[in-house]
Amino acid sequence: MGLADRPPPRLLLPLLALALLLSVAGAVWLARAALAEQRAAFETDARIAHRLLSQQAVQHDAILATLALLQAGGPAELTPEQRLPSVYPQVLRVLRRERNGDWPGGPSEIGTLRQAEAASRQAGRAALAMVDLGAGRYTLVRAAEPASFALQIDVAAMVPRSEWPIAADGPVSVHLLHGTQQRVLQPAQGRPATWAFDFGKPLAAESQPFELQLRGGAGWQQLPWGAMAAWALAVFALLTTAALWQGQRADRRRALELLRLGQVGRLNALGELAAGMAHELNQPLTAVLANVQAAQRLLADEPPELDTARGAMAQAVQQARRAGDVVGRLRRVVARPELGARLQPVRLADVARAALDLLAPDCRRLGVTPVLAGADATTVMAEPVALEQIVHNLLSNALQALAQVPVAERQLLLSVAAQAGQGVLAVRDSGPGIAPEVLPRLFEPFFSTRPGGLGLGLSLCETLAAGMGGALGAQPAPPRGAEFRLALPLAVEGVS
Amino acid sequence: MSTPMSPLIHLVDDDAAVRDSLALLIGTVGLRVSPWADPLAFLAGFDRDAIGAVVLDVRMPGLGGLALLERLRAEGVDQPVVMLTGHGTVDLCRRAFKSGAAEFLEKPVDDELLLETLQNAVRAHVRSRQRHQADRQSRERYALLSEREREVLALIVGGLTNKEAGRALGLSPRTVETHRAHLFEKLGTDSLAQLIRQYAEIAEGGAP
Repeated sequence: MGLADRPPPRLLLPLLALALLLSVAGAVWLARAALAEQRAAFETDARIAHRLLSQQAVQHDAILATLALLQAGGPAELTPEQRLPSVYPQVLRVLRRERNGDWPGGPSEIGTLRQAEAASRQAGRAALAMVDLGAGRYTLVRAAEPASFALQIDVAAMVPRSEWPIAADGPVSVHLLHGTQQRVLQPAQGRPATWAFDFGKPLAAESQPFELQLRGGAGWQQLPWGAMAAWALAVFALLTTAALWQGQRADRRRALELLRLGQVGRLNALGELAAGMAHELNQPLTAVLANVQAAQRLLADEPPELDTARGAMAQAVQQARRAGDVVGRLRRVVARPELGARLQPVRLADVARAALDLLAPDCRRLGVTPVLAGADATTVMAEPVALEQIVHNLLSNALQALAQVPVAERQLLLSVAAQAGQGVLAVRDSGPGIAPEVLPRLFEPFFSTRPGGLGLGLSLCETLAAGMGGALGAQPAPPRGAEFRLALPLAVEGVS
Repeated sequence: MSTPMSPLIHLVDDDAAVRDSLALLIGTVGLRVSPWADPLAFLAGFDRDAIGAVVLDVRMPGLGGLALLERLRAEGVDQPVVMLTGHGTVDLCRRAFKSGAAEFLEKPVDDELLLETLQNAVRAHVRSRQRHQADRQSRERYALLSEREREVLALIVGGLTNKEAGRALGLSPRTVETHRAHLFEKLGTDSLAQLIRQYAEIAEGGAP
């Protein structure tokens, strides 16, 4: 067949590069979105943790202030503040210094407590003493009258486990810092993170300005691998589909182009021939006319110039012969395109299918569903390109006829048959049909019923069919429509 | 300069039969014909001064009719050109007229049409030559006038009387009258109407 070979895949590499680029870009975007989401979640947790610990610290201030205000007299062992540790798990011990007494404990302890008490008195709020974050302990002193109080706090117990937002087995570590000291409130579990998130802020309690630090992160395993893979897959699928579709379209375009070129070539040759013919015939005709008219004038002269007139008439005769020769020469040139030499076995049904395939977009546009029926194996002797052109022309004509009737009434039937040594392809449409007065002139050159039509399509088809030893005919197809029958000699081995 | 002989038609066509038959036909109405087979030979050798016209075939080997027409126009040849063609398209026709063709005829051409066209062309050529010649003569005579006479002529052509012209030029009416007599004599006219018809354009263009 004359159908074009698939064009070389020179588009493949750029297409592949584009697919890779799109996949990577999409994956990066997805990963960044996922990481941003995780960072936001981490920061929310960190803020909650900071608020909870700050509340605890502020509570210590409140306890001390309450003790100072409500301090009761009597011996220390009877005082209700000693029951505090049972209510607040982080409070290990409550210390008390009577107005005239001293803090309990060893001399160095007493020293620091005194110092802190003085600082507390000066600042008007609780002050830190004996901070040992390594051991998880610190003491908070509040100066008051008559007695001053101190709380010994267990740092680890400050974490309110029931409300704590950070999972114990998660990747987030929590530290509390004071100067160079630090206490791990919660260690990180699992592998170190690839993308680190950090949070650091002092507790919102003036008396206990410990720095809370959280460190978390995300690893490769937290990336949205499923979504990323799905995206890449979608990109490749889409581009592959597009490439296939494009390729098909290009094939079709090329094939149509080839057909059209063949036709234009033949028409151009015809046009050239017509122009040449006009000139070749015009010259002798001009001479004939001029000679005869000159002779008329010479004969009308008084007296008539007989000799010159005779010469002019002889010239006219000679030029008329010359015109006859031109026509004869032309007839020999046009007589028969030399198709005979290139005949080969061709299956009619294959050609019909290829032509239908080429015209598939037009069929879809017109809402026509062509039907191909008959003896599929019928093989004729034909010149493939010429045959293809004939079939394409017949189908184009049929579609143009169908466009003139309502969509519901559009039918296109192709049938292939072998009859009396000939393979016959019939193209039948349910269009407006052929007017009886047009039928005899249908294959005349330069005869067209279409405005602007050259009137060469069917004429050319008939010439091509005849050149291959076949024939092209047309007849009405009742109830309405036209049927064109192309008959070509059967190939010997093709008779089934 | 016009010759005492009858007008000359130059016929350029590479086809001998066409050339001879057309020459014979054109000769029957008393026009002289100079046939040319080769457009380049015609271009090199034809008499540019003769009164007449040129007939060109559009389709010729070597130099086509349209190209030849353009060459003639570029050269300033004033003979009218009639184009002949075997298949005249609208486009061809338009191009021919744009290039200054006088007429565009299709082959085969009818005798009446061809001969009438040629006679019209010749008449037009004669008229244009006469106009040119009269023009040249007027200019030559005008050149003979003195500076003062030219001033006087400009005022007379402008419709002024002797008295008004004298006032405009600071001369006595008598002096103006003398100049007027001289210039009538030099320009070879004896009526005011003829003077104005022939010299109005020159005088207005040449006056200070």
